[in-house]
Amino acid sequence: MRRMWWTLLVISLVMGGARPSDAQVRGTIFGPGAHSYPIAVSPLRNLSEGSAAANFGAQFADIVSADLNLSGFFKILDRAAYIEKPETSGYTADSINFDNWSVIGALALVKGAYSVSGDNVTAEVRLFDVYQRRQLAGVRYHGSLGELRRMANKFADEIMKQFSGERGPFDTRLAFVSTRDGKFKELYAMSPDGGDLQQVTKTQTINVSPSWSPDSRLLLYTSYKRGNPDLYELDFLSGREVLISSRPGLNLGGRFSPDGSKIALTIEDKGNADIAIVDRGGNLLRRVTDSWAIDVSPSWSPDGRRLAFTSNRSGAPQIYIVGVEGGEPRRVTFSGTYNTSPAWSPKGDLIAYVSRADGGFNLFTVKVDGSDTRQLTQAAGDNEDPSWAPDGRYMVFSSSRTGRKKLFVTDLTGSSQVQLTRVGGDDSSPAWSRWLE
Amino acid sequence: MAVRLRAVAVLGVILAVVSVGCSAKKKGAAAGAAGGGVGEEGLAPGSSLERYKQGTLGTGEEGPLKDIHFAFDSADLDEQARGLLRDDASWLKDHSRAKVEIEGHCDERGTVEYNLALGTRRAGAAKEYVVALGIPADRLTTISYGEELPLCHEHNEECWQKNRRVHFVVLGE
Repeated sequence: MRRMWWTLLVISLVMGGARPSDAQVRGTIFGPGAHSYPIAVSPLRNLSEGSAAANFGAQFADIVSADLNLSGFFKILDRAAYIEKPETSGYTADSINFDNWSVIGALALVKGAYSVSGDNVTAEVRLFDVYQRRQLAGVRYHGSLGELRRMANKFADEIMKQFSGERGPFDTRLAFVSTRDGKFKELYAMSPDGGDLQQVTKTQTINVSPSWSPDSRLLLYTSYKRGNPDLYELDFLSGREVLISSRPGLNLGGRFSPDGSKIALTIEDKGNADIAIVDRGGNLLRRVTDSWAIDVSPSWSPDGRRLAFTSNRSGAPQIYIVGVEGGEPRRVTFSGTYNTSPAWSPKGDLIAYVSRADGGFNLFTVKVDGSDTRQLTQAAGDNEDPSWAPDGRYMVFSSSRTGRKKLFVTDLTGSSQVQLTRVGGDDSSPAWSRWLE
Repeated sequence: MAVRLRAVAVLGVILAVVSVGCSAKKKGAAAGAAGGGVGEEGLAPGSSLERYKQGTLGTGEEGPLKDIHFAFDSADLDEQARGLLRDDASWLKDHSRAKVEIEGHCDERGTVEYNLALGTRRAGAAKEYVVALGIPADRLTTISYGEELPLCHEHNEECWQKNRRVHFVVLGE
């Protein structure tokens, strides 16, 4: 079992005169999707005696590289081309020969070192501007060896912050359902870089629609394990599970409110699906919709005051917004005859959704006021189930573009779409957690 | 764990077989025994989920009641569906102690959650029609499996048409 606590000591090593705001490469010099900004990510140097955790430095670089590749900003330079070898070269601005990095085309460089003591590791990692020959950021991490992935993901988030002004989305978890281990959809979780995969359920029945609590510790999901599609809450770290809602019929698509105090879900009334809000114990707080039509898939606005949802009250499924107190919903999507799966951006401005268009299903975004509809995917299989990263700049989704359904990460324009999962079976319904704290 | 699950599955098969030969009273009780000794199963014997678990979905689930089919994204009953439901209703009148679970299913296209709701509508539409023909509502339960339990696995309209169905499971007579 993973440790429930995280004892990461972070000490900023940013040097005087090298504040992030001074970085020449910040802002809009390049955009996502270009995969154009050349960065070298060197394995960390091992300062420990002996061969304890000898792979730590290379694994750290692998994870950072995988994260940066997902971002769409960077071109990760091939490690085989690096002239400076980690075990024989410096890792501070004073001791790095930046000519060795500019000659292979690097504009940015990650170097660092680590030392291991028993189960604990201390790692110092720095980001350099190769052209200016100076440090942009540096962090010292201290934790157990098992927390390697979190340290690397945190540093990738820091690199993103240096280059774009906003923290990256990688110190997080992804939950999803997959048929990779059998014929039933079971729940899995993994790091956004694709590592640290955990099988969360082994129920041998239908499981759908995972979503995270705001503290990234609980998973809501719907399972048929008692025969009816009931809503469960799983404490992801302890494995403790609670039955939240087992009303006759649907108990589907549960989503925690942004403050974690309530759950919106789809329930069934007189043979029809409506949106309701329940408390953490599953007790009904209020019905949000009560129409003859199908109402499903609630998604909270970041301020917790409104819900986007899918309804076919116009005759075909479209995206609507309604206040959490109920009232008359406002339609948001007007193009396309089959629009579902709304996902409200954590920044609040956009709603991502899926539209049946061009003979398949594709990802779109629309502004909350219904304007500025944009298509993110096209002519590449069915693209469904968008879930926003906590930074509001990326989404994870499922796509059948390579055959079976696999998970992909896109930026919010669709210009960078990177495949995340590859093994057998269908992967679908991904849910991106908030940052781990 | 795997061993235990297999044991439960085998028990499920035995229960299903036993149920066929049981009295109506006993079967009715078994069908409602979600919280009983075999709790985790809690399924109608012969339900599509149970058949899928056993690897027999799509082979010989034809019972006395006929499946009906739907257009894409529709829970409307066409003339053919209504004709089949009239036949089903008359069978139910002749077997007045039979209880039935009505399953709503969808094809693979579209969203998992929306399709679960659409399956609910399909099952509900079939139930409503049969009730209107005089069958007591308390003999009929509904459940949606959305797009989760397809009979046919190819990605074409012929297959999708088979999967957009309402299926009836007779729980006991």
